[in-house]
Amino acid sequence: MKAVGARLPRYDGIAHVTGRTKYVADQSAQGMLACKGLRSPHHSARIVSIDTSKAEAHPGVFAVATYKDMPKNTVGHLEALGVPADEPYLAEHEVRFKGQLIGGVAAIDEATALEALDLIDVKYEVREPFLDIRKAFDPGQPQMTEKGNVFFYDPYDHRKVTKGDVDAAFEKADVIVKGSYRPSAIEQAPIEPQGCLVVPESDGRLTVYTCTQAMYFTMGVLAEHLQRTPGSIKLVGGTVGGGFGGKVDSATEPLAAILALKARRPVRWIFTREEEMLCGSVRASWHVEMADALTKDGWILGRKVLTLHDAGAYTRFSSYGATKHSFHLAGAYTVPALRTRAYVVWSNHVPTTAMRGFGVTSASFAIELQMTRNADVLGIDPWEFRLKNANRPGDLMPTRKVLEDPSTIDTIRACAEAVGHPLSATYRDMKNDERSGEWLPPHLVDQAAHAKLGDPQEAAR
Amino acid sequence: MKHRGRGLAAIEYPTGMNQGGDPSQAWVKIKPDGRVDVFAGTVDLGQGSKTVHTQIVADTLGVPYESVNMDVSNTDSSPLCTGTFASRGTFIGGLAVLKAAKKAKEKMLEVAGQAMEIDPADLDVEDGMVYVKGSPDKKMSVGEVSAAATWGFGELITGTGVHLKAYSMPDPDTGVCDPDHAISYAACVVDVEVDDETGVVTVLSMVQAYDVGHAINPTLVEGQIEGGAMMGLGLGLLEQSYPHYPSTEGRGNEFGAYLMPGLPDFPEITSVIVENPSADGPFGAKAIGEMANNAQGPAICSAIHDAVGVWVPQQPATPERVLRALQAKAAGSDAPRRDGKTVIFDEDISVMTMADESSPLRDVLGV
Repeated sequence: MKAVGARLPRYDGIAHVTGRTKYVADQSAQGMLACKGLRSPHHSARIVSIDTSKAEAHPGVFAVATYKDMPKNTVGHLEALGVPADEPYLAEHEVRFKGQLIGGVAAIDEATALEALDLIDVKYEVREPFLDIRKAFDPGQPQMTEKGNVFFYDPYDHRKVTKGDVDAAFEKADVIVKGSYRPSAIEQAPIEPQGCLVVPESDGRLTVYTCTQAMYFTMGVLAEHLQRTPGSIKLVGGTVGGGFGGKVDSATEPLAAILALKARRPVRWIFTREEEMLCGSVRASWHVEMADALTKDGWILGRKVLTLHDAGAYTRFSSYGATKHSFHLAGAYTVPALRTRAYVVWSNHVPTTAMRGFGVTSASFAIELQMTRNADVLGIDPWEFRLKNANRPGDLMPTRKVLEDPSTIDTIRACAEAVGHPLSATYRDMKNDERSGEWLPPHLVDQAAHAKLGDPQEAAR
Repeated sequence: MKHRGRGLAAIEYPTGMNQGGDPSQAWVKIKPDGRVDVFAGTVDLGQGSKTVHTQIVADTLGVPYESVNMDVSNTDSSPLCTGTFASRGTFIGGLAVLKAAKKAKEKMLEVAGQAMEIDPADLDVEDGMVYVKGSPDKKMSVGEVSAAATWGFGELITGTGVHLKAYSMPDPDTGVCDPDHAISYAACVVDVEVDDETGVVTVLSMVQAYDVGHAINPTLVEGQIEGGAMMGLGLGLLEQSYPHYPSTEGRGNEFGAYLMPGLPDFPEITSVIVENPSADGPFGAKAIGEMANNAQGPAICSAIHDAVGVWVPQQPATPERVLRALQAKAAGSDAPRRDGKTVIFDEDISVMTMADESSPLRDVLGV
């Protein structure tokens, strides 16, 4: 019997639904301490001083940590890909978001740790927050960094995609439609909050029980913070109570580890639901403006896009997300001329991170509402407008990648059949194959010729 | 009064970490009794990657699904996996275990050839039995082969596999690069009911078709489609971390203070699996994970327009936003501005209204 293609039950499904699966919060170790984190009450402030002396003297407290205890406090998740590290794991001289982690306490139990947090004295100089990303370049707005409010993609301050002759497309268009789209930030909201248990072993290694979505990734980030070799850390996990991108961030491991090393005891830190929701990273808010150059019979000749990605206080994966977004701004359609500019804007919102559909969810929202509007303005059936402009084998993506097996046509027609949407004969009979005849209009001849060259680098020239 | 409307969205989504450079490794070994251990680093988030990988290994080795153990529990025994994100588990993690299983199968046939005194090229495996092609009666069980390897020939039947696509740097001026492994597609149709007195939008039904290349486990594919639809429903109608964005006032700090869809909000849902195989994927598969929540939001907004003639370009389409749009329509102030051949929607929220006249953002679209 073949397993592939079979409706087999989930490997670990019965353990999950009968409560027998062990998650991080089910783990414990002898002598284990509880950890709590100290967080900023302000969106933006200079830190004047941090005094932990009273907390350290509090009975039941085994260790207190601030940025001074972290061997390497600022570690970038994407430094290997050339994205500069910009986020101190524990705040040093400023806080840039409400809920930012400043330090932590390991104590005999959670109540004692919370008492100790109250004894840490932090003096702030509160500043005006920067919140509306549309005002990123406005004079008089608060500045997130010395270099301004936007991430720098060398050599530009935005990610560009430029394909075909956009100005000619807009010149030639019968109609131009422009809209602005604002998808909201949302919570990751996994049932299992962020958490870990760090156990210092007798051989000097660290065992880290974790809910990370990426064990080797977290191992690398943690090793860098602690300035240890990655192999001196063993991560135990692989089973996660819901992760949608947010558990790629190493939220709890560095603080718990540094406290465990200081106290020489196992330390467990599990976020409360309130921490998970107010301090944990969210899906970003986006602002997308899109203008389409259209012919009156329903072809898309060109598209211009302005994207503002509200990264929140630090970069994390946002530069990656806005690049991925940029590569998908044509959606499931073939747009021969494209000019897109995507800015990663820092703000005093909580840092955002990867979440299911990262970068593309916002693109899909903008594109698909714009597509319905285009069809509405032109007076064309929105199904047929989409089918007309659908990706076909041999077409080029915004990156000039040649599409081998697109399915815009097959998936739309599967839906039309399922709901009984009537299509005219032209669209009922159209095939998902390479362009020819009426499906190869003059404005797509060039891109089809580039595709034949096969080499996307070559096609770009 | 309640009005019904229908909306369509069609989307695409890339498989794998954008721009590549993200390896997954796997290791397969066979115990002396024939049971198979697979060590890989792909974290199972609840989507079922362990199940899918087990299926891939079972068929690649030619052994029953039940005889395969999947261990992703720790970084000492599992080789490297970049992580479970970017819709990379089935494709990249899947190719790693597939390649490891292929190598283990080669070794198994080599040992079986020695034991049976037959050229390994004349052997194959099915249902846990190594047999001679053309003479299926001449056979040994995988357990017998592994026992022979262990006690007879002093060998371990094992194999390792890695899948890595090299990092591709985009051209800064054009964006040209080769960033993904495959592209999946989907279309989503929603039928809604809009109450023009309360602004409440109810999704009545949802029909969705997903091209996943090849469904390795159709039940789990449907699980992703339905779970994604639930999340998409939240994006489209309910969820927002900042209810007064960009202000930070009013954030929900618990499930009771943050609106998410529950089962009563869940519409009648139909999932259609389309199979347009990827030339490079394991058994032709493409990704499904992330894209499953991308189509519902825009489909809902298009359906609201179909029902009551207003556009809600800000997600989620809360009752307040729908009512404000209906009021603007009644006042005749919702029509897009026309400037020559250009039709301009949403001017009130665009950078042309909201950014300072000196801002370079105003020049990007030029309209």
